[in-house]
Amino acid sequence: MNDLVVRNDLNVIGGTGRRDFVTIKLAEQTLGIPVLAVQDVLNPQKITRIPLAPDWVAGVLNLRGRIVTAIDLRRRLGLPPQDAAKRSMSVVVDFYGEPYSLQIDSVGEVLSLEDSLFERNPVTLDQRWRDVSRGIYRLEKELLVILDVEKLLGNAASSKAA
Amino acid sequence: MDDLLNEFLTETAESIDVVDVELVKLEQDPNNKEVLDNIFRLVHTIKGTCGFLGLPRLESVAHASENVLGKFRDGELDVSEHAVTVILESLDRIKEILAGLEATEEEPVGDDSDLISRLDAIAEGGVGPAAAPEPEPDVIEGEIVDPGLGRPLKPGEVSLEELEAVFNSTPGPDEAEPAPAPKAEKKSKKADRTGPLFDRVGGEDAVVVVAHLMSERLSGDKKLGKFFPASGTEQTKARLTGLLMSLLKDDLDSADAVARQLMTTGGFGEAEFDALTALAKDVFKQCQVEAEACDEAVMTFELIRDAVVASSKALAAPKDAKAKGATAAAAGRDKEDGEGAGGGRASQSIRVSVDLLEDLMNMVSELVLTRNQLLQIVRNMDNSELAVPLQRLSQCTTELQENVMKTRMQPIGNAWAKLPRIVRDLTVELDKKIELEMRGAETELDRQVLELIKDPLTHMVRNSADHGIERPAERIASGKPEHGTIVLNAYHEGGHIIMEIKDDGRGIPVQKLKSKILEKKLATEAELAEMSDNQIQKFIFHPGFSTAEKVTSVSGRGVGMDVVRSNIEKIGGTIDMVSIEGKGSTFTIKIPLTLAIVAGLIVEASGERYAIPQISVLELVRASDDSEHRIETIKDTPVLRLRNRLLPLVYLNEVLKFQTRAEIDARESQDGFIVVTQVGAFTFGIVVDQVFDTEEIVVKPVAPILKDLEVYSGNTILGDGSVIMILDPNGIASATSQTQAEQHEETESKARAARTEGEERESMLLFHAGGEHPKAVPLSLIARLEDIPVEEIETSDGRLMVQYRGSLMPLIMADQAVKLVESGRQPVLVFTDGDYTMGLVVDRILDIVEDKLEVRLASARQGVVGSAIIAGHATEVIDVAYYLDLAFAGWMKKKDKGTDTAVMTGARVLLVDDSDFFRSMVKPVLAVAGYKVKTARDGKQALAALEDDKYDLIISDIEMPVMGGLEFARALRADKRFAHIPLVALSSLATERDIARGREAGFDDYVAKFDKETLLRSLAQQLKVHGDAA
Repeated sequence: MNDLVVRNDLNVIGGTGRRDFVTIKLAEQTLGIPVLAVQDVLNPQKITRIPLAPDWVAGVLNLRGRIVTAIDLRRRLGLPPQDAAKRSMSVVVDFYGEPYSLQIDSVGEVLSLEDSLFERNPVTLDQRWRDVSRGIYRLEKELLVILDVEKLLGNAASSKAA
Repeated sequence: MDDLLNEFLTETAESIDVVDVELVKLEQDPNNKEVLDNIFRLVHTIKGTCGFLGLPRLESVAHASENVLGKFRDGELDVSEHAVTVILESLDRIKEILAGLEATEEEPVGDDSDLISRLDAIAEGGVGPAAAPEPEPDVIEGEIVDPGLGRPLKPGEVSLEELEAVFNSTPGPDEAEPAPAPKAEKKSKKADRTGPLFDRVGGEDAVVVVAHLMSERLSGDKKLGKFFPASGTEQTKARLTGLLMSLLKDDLDSADAVARQLMTTGGFGEAEFDALTALAKDVFKQCQVEAEACDEAVMTFELIRDAVVASSKALAAPKDAKAKGATAAAAGRDKEDGEGAGGGRASQSIRVSVDLLEDLMNMVSELVLTRNQLLQIVRNMDNSELAVPLQRLSQCTTELQENVMKTRMQPIGNAWAKLPRIVRDLTVELDKKIELEMRGAETELDRQVLELIKDPLTHMVRNSADHGIERPAERIASGKPEHGTIVLNAYHEGGHIIMEIKDDGRGIPVQKLKSKILEKKLATEAELAEMSDNQIQKFIFHPGFSTAEKVTSVSGRGVGMDVVRSNIEKIGGTIDMVSIEGKGSTFTIKIPLTLAIVAGLIVEASGERYAIPQISVLELVRASDDSEHRIETIKDTPVLRLRNRLLPLVYLNEVLKFQTRAEIDARESQDGFIVVTQVGAFTFGIVVDQVFDTEEIVVKPVAPILKDLEVYSGNTILGDGSVIMILDPNGIASATSQTQAEQHEETESKARAARTEGEERESMLLFHAGGEHPKAVPLSLIARLEDIPVEEIETSDGRLMVQYRGSLMPLIMADQAVKLVESGRQPVLVFTDGDYTMGLVVDRILDIVEDKLEVRLASARQGVVGSAIIAGHATEVIDVAYYLDLAFAGWMKKKDKGTDTAVMTGARVLLVDDSDFFRSMVKPVLAVAGYKVKTARDGKQALAALEDDKYDLIISDIEMPVMGGLEFARALRADKRFAHIPLVALSSLATERDIARGREAGFDDYVAKFDKETLLRSLAQQLKVHGDAA
């Protein structure tokens, strides 16, 4: 585990380390979040809307007495909203001491991946995705886009302020 | 011990510890700016506090150290080992002084000049002696009031310590007269002048001997030994010497003081004192003091018996409570090991970071929620064996919650601690007599809140003392007791703490205030006339009223009342004031007990629940179409009639963009609940779909990414576990005024378009006065609306009169058809013009509308300007001037002769205004004042008119179609022919910015519309100025 913390920064790739990711599904695309960034995985929760907030803020929810701000990841990434019948699961991440929950379709598994499988974002990737992704892992059957929580919420905050 | 001192000691001790560590760090890393800043700050704080508490010795040492540190900081001096050593030494000195302070509550006497001079030498760049001399021969000596003399040593005097040394070097105690040292001899001479007993015993030298012997024997004595531990022999000796001297010299005051210091432990009772006197007698005999003197000397001991026994008893009590061994306590008081002194204090309280408490608080809230859920489950189960343990759990949880809350609570007295001193200083400074009475100092509130109200409170008390309370002579003259009283009162009331600051001074002078308000242009005379005294007095809270520009938090000097108000509002509090001239003022502050937990009113809009902080909620009104409370609209603005006042409303659904106004208006019923909310002085209603109950809610801040949503002040978790947003009435008020401003801008642009047709929006008062059509008058002309009891209306000289505000006001019927009501109250419109006040009797006041106003038909009838269509009805616009003339036969004539208004009768004036109405209103006024008036519709027309004719003065509106006022002014000034003509702006846009812009464009003066007096005065003035110049 310590090893991971030390080499958490994926931008410095080299050697043959392994990293662990939680995979999530979002509109058929598989995304990965560094396992250490994830605090909780929640089943569908009751979310309180926040009128006047940006549309990608789904609302707030109660996580064991903490108020967590829910981010609608589909909207954030410009994807169509999910079927009303299905309810979103969420992954809770921490950003500068504040908990945020990313609303996703479903949670997959935890993968331990070789650094050698990592690749930077293709330049042709949608700008919106490039803004929030660190890079891509080539898996056997599919590609895993790694979400950068820092960018995701940091940009959100700054775009908000702008 | 004094709370203030206590706090100071704890805090300073902590700071010093930090400085110790930091200094060492600094020495190793002399370039670390951060460490240096930290040290500097801490030492500075200590210095500052010392000065405040009146501890000169501490202050001077800290000051000298701070000087050196300051030089370090500014880079003028390198951090050297020597310098750090000396600073550390000064810290030790501070610690010693603190220890003394803790033990005696007084700053021990001593001399730090050596240390200070070394510090100063370093500060001046000198290195100072490499090996610093001992800071003081004996620090201990310096710490207590030299017991031998009961005062600090004077230059040239020798401390008893030295006498001791001399004594010890002499042959022995058994010799009656030890060889006196030269200096002691000098003292002996002095002794000759003192009382015979002192002489008979053998003077100062003998006393020293006796004291020495006594202390020797005391420490050896089985019974008394424990009270005078061997470790303290030197000290005991010194104290005994002092005691004996003062006793024998008959100086009872110092004897008493020293006697009280004699005891360091409890348990020294009457019996022990007897033993002590017996021992003293023995020693006197041993020293060959003659029997008579010996007896007398021993007798004097009786004088201090009470003091000694009492002081010992007093010592015993707290020590027992602390369950500490007497010896430990003795060590604590014992100056000899000063380090021991800190220990006792530290154990009484510990400092915990607020974050930790916050976490605790959160966990407890969570625990409470879980408990509630459990209780709910168990309630639904029959005969559960969980019931009993759960009950217990429930109880513990409640207690835990209460206690955690308590950790944040502090008595409000803490915030008051400085006040008596401030008031005292002020009484001296201002030469007044003021008593400060503090009630309810034990009332507790959240520490955070406490910190935030400290400064506002200080300021208000200072204000009361300074401006409120009169000088003694003045007070006596007005029949009040010489002593002014300021009462501070605090108590709890329903989740809030109420604080009153009451003085029996002169109150707030309304007249004086009025002129200041006018001077600062915060309100017009007409507005003031409508206000009650209390409303006017409340202007002191108005931003911009205070002349202060800078906020200094320490003293509160220069802080205006508006700052006080905004500080209080910042923490969700409110402030109110009642002041009666000559009787005094009472300020009432209402603040929530804690910022973390507030009472919230839970409301619903479009199926979602929201909380509104209870403190801003005044009342709830249920509105429905068929009740007396019906939502009405003035154009698009919803309002509610509430106790004869119009309450502006906002729809929560609209604020939160759930529904548009059209959707709301389209709803079948307009039923709703109105939460009457107060933000500062602004009261408005929030229309919600449903109101639930109030709940205690824990306010949590919203996530940073949502920070700029100003309608929320936070969010919270309700008892059922759901999260809801907390609305910020402040934010809602400003959000709506913004949207209104936007809308206003929209209508503004529309209106601008409309103005090309010569229309302008005016606030008009509609009323009924005879005839079938309503009548109207521009609202801005009306001073106030009154309902006068009809029985108060009198007839005098065939005219109707009423006593109004201390004088007679003539009443004029608005129409012949108007009849006075038979009983009850008669509505009257009051008009004021200079000294003239008249009432216009009408049948009924209908409404106030803001509408396009177009005088369609000029009227030939007197008293009517013309007819206009207002709110869809043909309406007569009345001519106020006519009625004023009717009421005061001389009104018009006066206008003619008015000294200040028409110096240049016959002057030609060009009036430029796009509003027909306005032109028709102003023109007669000017004509009456003796001017020859021509009018123009806009700047272009005006320029054309100037080509045709000559004018002495031009009055122009700013907002006009085709060519606006500013443009016109620039064009005018650019043309050499017209550049000299005085130009007066007449506009409803009369903010400072507008005025500045106007002047820039070339206007000579700027007058608000409808301000007739000022207009006339301005015209006269402009003409005069230009006339003189020409």
